[in-house]
Amino acid sequence: MALIVIAEDELLIAEVLKIMLEDAGHQVEAAAHGVAALELVVQKRPDLVLTDFMMPLMTGLELAQNIRADPALADIPIILMSGAQASIGRAHPEAFNAVLEKPYNEARLLSAIEQAIKAQTT
Amino acid sequence: MVQTLPRIISGVCGLDQILGGGFIEGASYILQGQPGAGKTILANQAAFANVKTGGKVLYVTLLAETHDRLFQVLGTLDFFDRSQLGVSISYVSVFQTLRDSGLPAVVELLRKEIARQSATLLVFDGLLNARDQANSVLDVKTFVAEVQSQAAFVGCTVLFLTSTRFADDSPEHTMVDGVVELHEEVPGVRSVRRLQVKKSRGSAALGGLHQFDITSAGLTVFPRLEAVLHHPSIDDGPPSRFLKSGVNGFDNLIGGGLQEASVTLLFGPSGSGKTAFGLNFLNEVTADEQGLYFGFYETPARLRAKATSLGLDIDGHVDAGHIDIVWNPMTENLLDRLGHQLLHAVRIRRVKRLLIDGLGGFERAAVHQPRMNEFFSALINELRALGVTTIATWELHDLFGPTVTAPGSELSSLMDNLVMVRHVEKESRYRKALSILKVRDSAFDPHIRELTFGNNGIEVDVPLEPVLHAATGLAAPVSR
Repeated sequence: MALIVIAEDELLIAEVLKIMLEDAGHQVEAAAHGVAALELVVQKRPDLVLTDFMMPLMTGLELAQNIRADPALADIPIILMSGAQASIGRAHPEAFNAVLEKPYNEARLLSAIEQAIKAQTT
Repeated sequence: MVQTLPRIISGVCGLDQILGGGFIEGASYILQGQPGAGKTILANQAAFANVKTGGKVLYVTLLAETHDRLFQVLGTLDFFDRSQLGVSISYVSVFQTLRDSGLPAVVELLRKEIARQSATLLVFDGLLNARDQANSVLDVKTFVAEVQSQAAFVGCTVLFLTSTRFADDSPEHTMVDGVVELHEEVPGVRSVRRLQVKKSRGSAALGGLHQFDITSAGLTVFPRLEAVLHHPSIDDGPPSRFLKSGVNGFDNLIGGGLQEASVTLLFGPSGSGKTAFGLNFLNEVTADEQGLYFGFYETPARLRAKATSLGLDIDGHVDAGHIDIVWNPMTENLLDRLGHQLLHAVRIRRVKRLLIDGLGGFERAAVHQPRMNEFFSALINELRALGVTTIATWELHDLFGPTVTAPGSELSSLMDNLVMVRHVEKESRYRKALSILKVRDSAFDPHIRELTFGNNGIEVDVPLEPVLHAATGLAAPVSR
């Protein structure tokens, strides 16, 4: 049962993710672009951030880098979900704890989230 | 001094020509058409072409397929470069912002994002959705105007995609600089795609409908030949020489040979020897005087075999690279693609001897028959200007008959020379008879000749025995 912030500009995807995560027992807050997502993270101090790459105003990479740059937020696990930019994600292990590629597998996504949160709390 | 407006490429073959050079830098266009018409492909093709030439593209969607689905589809197209995603081209959705905060918030977001990305091209897919979310017509008009002016200020070109056909006087239409409409229609049973530039502020566009097709290369547009070749592309000079026809006995009949850059219509029923005559003509090619066979009937292999059986060395000429064979079977062709294909093949080899076998292949390809005269006029004038000496065959439907109808309505008057071949029935035998009806600016021998097959293909050495009505094919003896 964790608080997760989702940064995803595509409404359909954000809604599916929200339902998936809420069904698994998590609490979800969603933002439609990087700037709003950063504000949410600052405000809510989530247990995990799940982010897309291409978004208006701030990309997923920039979001992660901004989170890492703030000592109060730097430890929050960040997972990148991306079809096209998975390789860019993997090139920045300091920014992303995990990179998930589309098509999404629900079980894999949920277990990746669980693992990332567990690694943080230990 | 007249200023030329700076342009960005459309990335679509043929479209820049129609637009008068490409999309105007900093201008806004509506790209409209039914779902499936090709708007998304066109927009992405333009996007990646601009990425390739150093541009930055912002592709904004509202509510449609997911971006990943879009990338899956684009992945089947040659121009898609996955490595550029998130680098020089960014795909983002602003539907949430629209839903939560309305059109003005979208305008603000776009302004920021264009600046952030230093975008030179903005594609906004979903103007219709913007309309649905708007409270009034004025809202959308304001939206378009604001996006347009902000983009123009930084020199960013905008393509608004919409799947509805706005009325020509709708507020959106009046704001933008250009409107391009894509159609897909089914006249009869075949599907035909056509494009029209309905508005083009600041430059003359080639109006009317232009055919296009969609392949793995994306869209390819074939500008309507008679529009783009309103006048021939170059000035022609006075004809300077005569070309050997390659048919024994024929040159004497027409004053020495075929005049350079003339167009000869060779018409007659099936089996009368038209293709064979044309092969004799092509057989005279050299390295400096190359040839092109542009046909709709026989495949290249069958044509080469036919030539060999006639005693002609077309094989040798093809292997030496002096003859090009272009075959388009008479299935579902696009008229303008045929025309552009022919002219391109002529230009790249500087072809001097052309055999079109037969003009009927163009006729059958036309979706709108009434334009054939204008089409042929443009094509023939261009061939003349390029200095190509052409023989074009035409199939007459009546094998025999008392009336001989001139092909096409104006076609014969476009031609320089008219040569007719008929089957003549005489004493239980069929003979082929060739007669010359017209040679522009020259005297010719009016005697009907018999067309025979010699060791080197066709010959017309022998005059036909005197009979009456040979032209109709139903010969009668001259009464004594």
